[in-house]
Amino acid sequence: MKEQTNSKISSFDVNGEIGYTNLSVGEKKLIKDAMHRGMTRREFVTWLTATGITLASAGSIFSSATTAMAATPKRGGKIKYAASAHGPMDTLDPVILPAGIDYTRARAHYNCLVQFDENLKPHPELAEEFSSNADATEYTFKIRKGVVFHDGSKLTADDVIWSMRRHMGKDSKSVAKPLMASAREWKKVDSHTVKAILRGPDADFATVLGLFQFKIAKKDTTNWQNPPGTGPFTLKEFKPGIRSVHERNKNYWREGPYLDVIEITAITDSVARVNAVLSGDMQLIDAVDPKAVKQIESTPGVHILSYPTGTYIAICMLRDMAPGNNDDFIMAMKLLQRRERIVRSILKNHGTVGNDQPINSIYPDHCDTLPQRKFDPDKAKFHLKKSGITRAEIHVAEVGTGITDTVLMAQSEASKIGLKLDVKRVPTDGYWGSVWMKTPINVVRWFGRPTANMMMSVAYAPDAKWNDTKWKNKRFGELLKESRAVKDPVKRKEMYCEMQTLIHNDSGIIIPAHINVVAGISDKVKGIPNVPLGQLGGHEWPEFAWLEG
Amino acid sequence: MKVMILQRIGIGFITLLVVSVLIFVGTEILPGDVAEIILGQSATPESLAALRAELGLNKPAVVRYFEWLGDMIRFDLGISKAGGTTIEELIKSRLSNTFLLGGMVAMIAVPIAVILGLLAAMYAGTWFDRIVTFCSLSLVSVPEFFIATLCVLVFSVQLHWLPATAYMSGDETFFQLSRALFLPVITLGFVVSAQMIRMTRAGILNVLHSPYIEMAILKGVPRARIILRHALFNTIGPIVNIIALNLAYLVSGVVIIETIFAYPGLAKLMVDGVQTRDFPLVQACAMIFCSTYVVLILLADIASILSNPRLRQRK
Repeated sequence: MKEQTNSKISSFDVNGEIGYTNLSVGEKKLIKDAMHRGMTRREFVTWLTATGITLASAGSIFSSATTAMAATPKRGGKIKYAASAHGPMDTLDPVILPAGIDYTRARAHYNCLVQFDENLKPHPELAEEFSSNADATEYTFKIRKGVVFHDGSKLTADDVIWSMRRHMGKDSKSVAKPLMASAREWKKVDSHTVKAILRGPDADFATVLGLFQFKIAKKDTTNWQNPPGTGPFTLKEFKPGIRSVHERNKNYWREGPYLDVIEITAITDSVARVNAVLSGDMQLIDAVDPKAVKQIESTPGVHILSYPTGTYIAICMLRDMAPGNNDDFIMAMKLLQRRERIVRSILKNHGTVGNDQPINSIYPDHCDTLPQRKFDPDKAKFHLKKSGITRAEIHVAEVGTGITDTVLMAQSEASKIGLKLDVKRVPTDGYWGSVWMKTPINVVRWFGRPTANMMMSVAYAPDAKWNDTKWKNKRFGELLKESRAVKDPVKRKEMYCEMQTLIHNDSGIIIPAHINVVAGISDKVKGIPNVPLGQLGGHEWPEFAWLEG
Repeated sequence: MKVMILQRIGIGFITLLVVSVLIFVGTEILPGDVAEIILGQSATPESLAALRAELGLNKPAVVRYFEWLGDMIRFDLGISKAGGTTIEELIKSRLSNTFLLGGMVAMIAVPIAVILGLLAAMYAGTWFDRIVTFCSLSLVSVPEFFIATLCVLVFSVQLHWLPATAYMSGDETFFQLSRALFLPVITLGFVVSAQMIRMTRAGILNVLHSPYIEMAILKGVPRARIILRHALFNTIGPIVNIIALNLAYLVSGVVIIETIFAYPGLAKLMVDGVQTRDFPLVQACAMIFCSTYVVLILLADIASILSNPRLRQRK
């Protein structure tokens, strides 16, 4: 065990106070696994001190880890959860799931073939086994036997194939269609085995299937008001834009869920949402405004859950039109961002500094050798002078936490070096259709994706539909394609680093910060998993959450 | 009188038709359509086309309007373009919520407001009148979201007496329901009663200056009798009209209160509908709001005609 873990542990921050809760996701996992295998305190301390951690720190990690894990889930109780947005659009149709509240409902109602852990690795869910051939062009999924839908019918390969094919073809209205584009076809092998045949190698294909929209529904479902699912909860009531009520599925195919009932609603007003958790009307709320964090932290009985994700806010400068087609202008703008200050004062430390490329440290393929870009007004002035540009216009809508303030900060920095940045504020309503990817400079918010390749394929590949800075880099495109087939970790790392460097230097994107997910939660609620893919642990909580006392 | 009612109903229908055209044009002018909103950031030309075809959005605007009108005449509200639920389903529970809230506010606020207005008029110029005037003017000037947020902070977050939202699970007892609705009801009560108090007071004072009241005073009729018997009946017209307008506002205009208290009512539904460019949904809400105005104003007019013999004799 020592050999296996030594290299990882040395990355622990050995300076200053450390405890289990402020370790990274990966480090937590490592310790959790070790403790689940029954490691004693003595073994644990020896193991950690061998890697250079002081005795006291090792001890404190052990105690905080045991408290974090000591409690065993209790059954029973009811949780009310308020998301930040809902409306008549709410749906349980997996292929068009539009927003966070729908992801949570789908998680309670359905299952995927695979499920993410806290390191974004896919694990078996409805597929009890999955494997690919040597060059990652064919994937085989063995469907778990004995799984029943809420209406009593059995899950078979036909349901899986039907659910997957809904993301393919000309008539598909799926919002996840581009992610399924690498599949040529889905074939049934026998009643409980399916095969996906890909157009080319894709080492990440199985990971994609853990995403929200790839939930497995029953074949030929047309009534999406109460569709049969296999998930941990059955649907008792679903009123779009009002609420849904889910009851424990007594015939669920694995342990859990622990809660008897969950009620899912949304409170769109952010002040009202915070008040609802403070007063105890709701046990869980998401999308807490950074300004309200203090209020929640100072109230007994509730606390804040905040952890980094791949989600980022960004300024997009379109590379195929002025002024974004000027390399010096791009560089000047990138150097003008006061990243630390954005994280500190706009995001109130519920975010992390961005480095003008989307792959931050939550991704296993993050490039840690790429130097952090710093605020440098002198260099920015030099590049601006070279570009000859003195005026530019930027369209902003508050599509992500803090983006408007970030732009205003850039505006004031720009004016100091002789660039007049006209900030045009536009409504979020209709923003994606009429502003984003159209005006020369605009803003965007991207949610993280489960793999670095997927994130870059969606928004940075030369032929990507949502290449929102119109950045066409041939070398990048080739690397992206090649890297999909690479299984060797050293070579893979090299390629991913080159890609991240290319985006960092050459693309029109400015990523000043990555945003944490910040949730308000009652102290009684336990067991919220930590998948860094979206609000409240990647919306995975319904099956795992439980109530204390 | 019958002729007048029939005429008014006829005009009401024409109003509805005109409003429906205006709403349709309005939703068409807004940038983007429902397919773009549903697919949002992840829209591609192909998925947009597929969704538009499925929703019937590729037909010309005029055709879509008349299809809707045809359905409407058969009392078929249609299907929400955004979610695929029937609009009847979406509206049903929210309509009863809206009427519940509006009804509770009206039941409490209307009598209190009219009585306070009367008393203020009876004792015009006294300290009592000044206090009522001061309070109602202040309440009318403070925005309702401020009153609401203040109430929530004090009564829910600090004192924990009342819930912060009017969130209902549907299986509440009457007591729980009253607790949940307490804050929205008093907030709205403040807003609507201020106007009614002012109007009642002004209306009655206005009548008090007319010659026949002077006559009554000279005859030696007691002040209370003058106000209740002579002045009030002659002021019913304007008072009922202001009550009707406030009731209609309670049905259609309380979107801020619905948002702050997370109360699922019709006004919020219409705003959601506009945001998702869900034309049939917006139309359905608009028709309900418009009919409420038409009916309530009609009732107010009938009430003022009944209370005023001069209006009855006009024809």
